[in-house]
Amino acid sequence: MNVITNNSILCTVALAALQNVVDPELGLNVVDLGLIYQVDFDDPGKTIYLTMTLTTRFCPMGESLAAAVTRALQSTFPHDDVSVLLTFDPPWDHTRISAEGKMFLNK
Amino acid sequence: MKNTLHTVVIPFYIYAAISFLVATILLACSGTALTQHYFQPRLLAITHIMALGWGTMIILGSSHQLLPVLIEGNLYSRKLAQLSFILAAAGIPLLVYAFFIFDFGWPARWGGILVNAGVLSFVVNVANSIRKSQQENIHAIFVFTAACWLLATTAIGLVLVYNFQDNFLPKDSLAFLSLHMHLGIIGWFLLLVVGVGSRLLPMFFISKYTNSRLLWWIYALINTGLVAFVIMFLKFHGMHRLAVLPVAVALILFVRYCYCAYQARIRRQVDGQMKLSVLSVVMIFIPVLILVVISGLTAGASDRPGLEMAYGFTIFFGWITSIILGMTFKTLPFIVWNKVYEEHAGLVKTPQPADLFSSRLFKGMSVTYLVGFVLFLTGLLNSQVVLLNISSGLLVAAALCYNLNVFKLVLHERDHK
Repeated sequence: MNVITNNSILCTVALAALQNVVDPELGLNVVDLGLIYQVDFDDPGKTIYLTMTLTTRFCPMGESLAAAVTRALQSTFPHDDVSVLLTFDPPWDHTRISAEGKMFLNK
Repeated sequence: MKNTLHTVVIPFYIYAAISFLVATILLACSGTALTQHYFQPRLLAITHIMALGWGTMIILGSSHQLLPVLIEGNLYSRKLAQLSFILAAAGIPLLVYAFFIFDFGWPARWGGILVNAGVLSFVVNVANSIRKSQQENIHAIFVFTAACWLLATTAIGLVLVYNFQDNFLPKDSLAFLSLHMHLGIIGWFLLLVVGVGSRLLPMFFISKYTNSRLLWWIYALINTGLVAFVIMFLKFHGMHRLAVLPVAVALILFVRYCYCAYQARIRRQVDGQMKLSVLSVVMIFIPVLILVVISGLTAGASDRPGLEMAYGFTIFFGWITSIILGMTFKTLPFIVWNKVYEEHAGLVKTPQPADLFSSRLFKGMSVTYLVGFVLFLTGLLNSQVVLLNISSGLLVAAALCYNLNVFKLVLHERDHK
């Protein structure tokens, strides 16, 4: 798990919220799956900018995962706007899965 | 980035599920007809329910859902997708009814025309989706080529329907059935299964393995086999069975591809749906083996109608059915999950797609299907009517379990507790 941020304290709170967003196929949350690339915070009460990816381009669950991420952040930071950017540069690969995620998948 | 709407895809699944049940019931009612020559009204009807109503409809439906993943772009038109469903759904019963009563008048002709129009809509949709995505990759090429072979198959089928009454071809329609059937099996089903499977298996396994070069070889070998088959069938009849060689090599390479993807998987656990799908890869070799025997390696084997029946049975009720039984419960739960839970994910705990269907029914379906398949094949090869009756009952039970689970899925609603 290697997430870029400009505010490590708020980022920890955000990532904790995002651990509730689970990839339905794998049952693993998007943080441990390594889908979250960057979480930046504007001034409090303004906008959270999140950059994330999907395991595959045009993943059938892509739309709902991005929407779920937005909702999870909005419920934790109700006064902030949330802007989610989907990127495939760099593309996701298995090396982004956290140690906990790998243990979960190896069960 | 847009998902194909569930209202576009789900009707294909429902239609296919009902077709499968109807086909198994007809099979169970066929009795002694199963021990005779395959060219009989009832068996032609069952074959076309399995090939069109079951195999093709579900593949058309899932293709509309999976095409965006394969081509990394949006589906060109939802309306064309709905049109292809309406046309094919109207045409298939007409065609099947015509075969059942063995009358090649207007039901067969209009059925054939409607099915062809439905397939043409699909081909146009696939071609335009690929053109617009501008992301040509080997999987997209597989799907497009398969769709073209399907159109060739249904077009030949329509010509044969007209030729039954008008006799404008140099030979009667029966002589061209092998051409019609193999273009559909190899050109449509096999190419599509390889093209889609080579993308989905690594995706579901979370596998690091990719090998486009190997897939290009498989693509070239299958198409070489097909083109050689057509040329030899028309010009050098008798030698056309040699075309099985490049296709058999392609199958071995595809098994190697699947094995490598399986070995390189990150997710260790393999669920029941994937096990059934992987089993289908092995089941491809049963009809190939039977074909080799029919081709004369065993003296006098071609005189046994049971072998020819077994060849068709292992393709439609074996290979094609096993992959659909597995993959339905890998793809349909996601479509339903997206429909029901998309707006709630991230806010409340949602079930996983695999929780939306009954695992007990799935196990019941898998067991009755596998036992029924083995016993039915044994019954065909030994012309044992009692065994055929018992095993076809098991296949009906498998189709019932499948239908119950499909309807449980598509009728799923969110629990508000």
